[in-house]
Amino acid sequence: MSFIKKHIEEAVTSRRDFLLASAYGLGGVAAAGLLGPRLARAAIEDPAVAWSYRNRTNPYWNEIVSGGEAFAQSLGKDKDFLTHLINEGSSEKSLSDVKGLLAKTGGKLALAIDTNDAPNARPVVEAVSAAGAYVSTIWNKTDDLHPWDFGDNYVSHMTWSDEGPAEQTARILLDAMGKQGGVVHLGGIASNNPAIERLQGLKNALADYPDCELLDAQPADWDTQKANQVMSSFLTRYGDEIAGVHCANDTIAYGVLEALRAEGITDMPLVSYDGNPQAVDLVNKGEILATVFTNPHWGGGITASLAYHAAIGTFKPSEEPNEHREFYGPAILVTPDDAAEFKTKYIENVPEYDWMDFWGPTNGQIQYD
Amino acid sequence: MQGGAASGRFDRETLLLWAPLIVLLVLVAFFTAVEPRFFSTRNFGRIAIASAPALMVAVGVTFIVIMGSIDLSMEGTVSVCAVLFAQAFIAWGATLASTAWLALPLALLVGAVIGLVNGLVHVKLRIPSFMSSLAMGFVGTGLALILTGGDRIRVEDELFRGALTERWFGYPIMVYVAVLFLLIGWFVQSHTTLGRNFYAVGGGEELAHASGLNVERVRLLGFTLAGIFYAVGALLAVARIGIAETATGGNYMFLSITAVVVGGTALWGGIGGVWNTLVGVLIVHVIGNGMVVIGLPGYLQDGALGLLVIVAVVLSTNRRQVAFVK
Repeated sequence: MSFIKKHIEEAVTSRRDFLLASAYGLGGVAAAGLLGPRLARAAIEDPAVAWSYRNRTNPYWNEIVSGGEAFAQSLGKDKDFLTHLINEGSSEKSLSDVKGLLAKTGGKLALAIDTNDAPNARPVVEAVSAAGAYVSTIWNKTDDLHPWDFGDNYVSHMTWSDEGPAEQTARILLDAMGKQGGVVHLGGIASNNPAIERLQGLKNALADYPDCELLDAQPADWDTQKANQVMSSFLTRYGDEIAGVHCANDTIAYGVLEALRAEGITDMPLVSYDGNPQAVDLVNKGEILATVFTNPHWGGGITASLAYHAAIGTFKPSEEPNEHREFYGPAILVTPDDAAEFKTKYIENVPEYDWMDFWGPTNGQIQYD
Repeated sequence: MQGGAASGRFDRETLLLWAPLIVLLVLVAFFTAVEPRFFSTRNFGRIAIASAPALMVAVGVTFIVIMGSIDLSMEGTVSVCAVLFAQAFIAWGATLASTAWLALPLALLVGAVIGLVNGLVHVKLRIPSFMSSLAMGFVGTGLALILTGGDRIRVEDELFRGALTERWFGYPIMVYVAVLFLLIGWFVQSHTTLGRNFYAVGGGEELAHASGLNVERVRLLGFTLAGIFYAVGALLAVARIGIAETATGGNYMFLSITAVVVGGTALWGGIGGVWNTLVGVLIVHVIGNGMVVIGLPGYLQDGALGLLVIVAVVLSTNRRQVAFVK
């Protein structure tokens, strides 16, 4: 009996010791974790470079990524050095892919990303900052999120103020309509910043044309086939009242042109956005009246370059002025008058860019209303 | 005999049989009431143009659903067929008047091969059709991306695009092509052994197997046939837009499965057919077109589409026949 009693007492004691020891152990790990991030971070020597975007089937993103690859090649590396994170339009996938890559590279990462929608920007930036990696964003970001609040890790944000150029294309459209008649707008995915801004640009322009009316604005999700269907439905609803079409981007315009072609309608005034090679050809032929080139090739390369050079310590983002942290990208209006010249300059020969000239082609600091 | 047979033509069974068509007519009436311009030959022509490629894809998947399986590979298959067709078409003369017309049967062949591979993965590796076809769909999209490098291929031949621009009695030629293939699908379904075998496998696979039917062979043929129909859908999609790209197959998965279910074909197999699918495709496209025509704001449309689809399925499913829903 006493043997069993002693055995039980020993077992209980050793279990208590075990519990106490593990409590000390966990506490120690937690304490070390608290101390960790306060250690100074040295520059990363050979960061991985990654681009996170929607997918490559859209010509715009194809150009962005080709710019990123051109940058990777300028470093003397292979095109495949650039890691592709494709989110297929899902913010959740975008965030989890980024976290996965951060874990895989141990924080030694220079990331260029479009976070798919504005609210997703903060979680991505916070995840990258916490891991000690470097990120540059384009397009989507909430107004209260600023690179300068994150020290060096959130390097820069570039967007394009689409309202101005969209207003310009809208004015060209409304003038071509003889300053009267109904306009329909086919937009991008409704929650995307560029979709909202390009519609707003049209509305701003309409304020100056009292005889023109916005008949309807529907999202076409940046997709050619959806745009085709939406335009067909517009033709049913408004028929001859439609005197002009304002498209949020080139791929939408292609769908609209085909819907018009199916009805035998040619020479309907039409404007778009993005400056795809196919669209520039159509501008040359006069089938599209204007498009706006945002130089996605340069944008893709320079975003990757900014993150990379911040990571290796070429420059210190926190020492740069605010207009180098948040800025507008270049926007070139392409009309039938200058389409031929534009094509030769930007499309037939892809220019060699100086990837260290970070802020040359940019358009000033981002303004918030 | 089931109850109600003696009470005349409007018993529950008959009503259920015709429910999808009644739903379609009610929708057309509703949209016309709100916006009279909905009811016009021109608008029906537009709905027909939009429905034609989707109908082909939906008919293809109908055969698989009748068998009790499912095929989610249509997006990849349509993209690959469209891209290969466009590349061959341009390489072989870029106009239907030259040898480029061979690109049309080539596309059908590619569709059949992809369908066959799809079926082999499902049957030989014994992977559930949901996963095997979904995975093959992704493979297809990736293959299309590799083939195009992300670019789009433009098919601008006037003769080929004539499928869209030339109209007979108010409807473009591509609509008649779709109707032709629909009739072929109906013939396969109702007047060939293969079609009857689809129903046998779907209605009771063990029973069919025990009766001496080579179920594996029927499955393989079913997937191959579906692949051919996806290829026809791809050709019509390219004719409609004039562009072949990796995104050509986009959205067809949702559209075709929804159309099949809304039309009254049961997902568990053995019930339904291509006419149900026709009604289902028309319902989905009438809703899509009608919502824009009546001026429903964009942000309400997805929700409205979902609700209308639920209503349509509820009305066309014989819930008494279903012991449990999977």
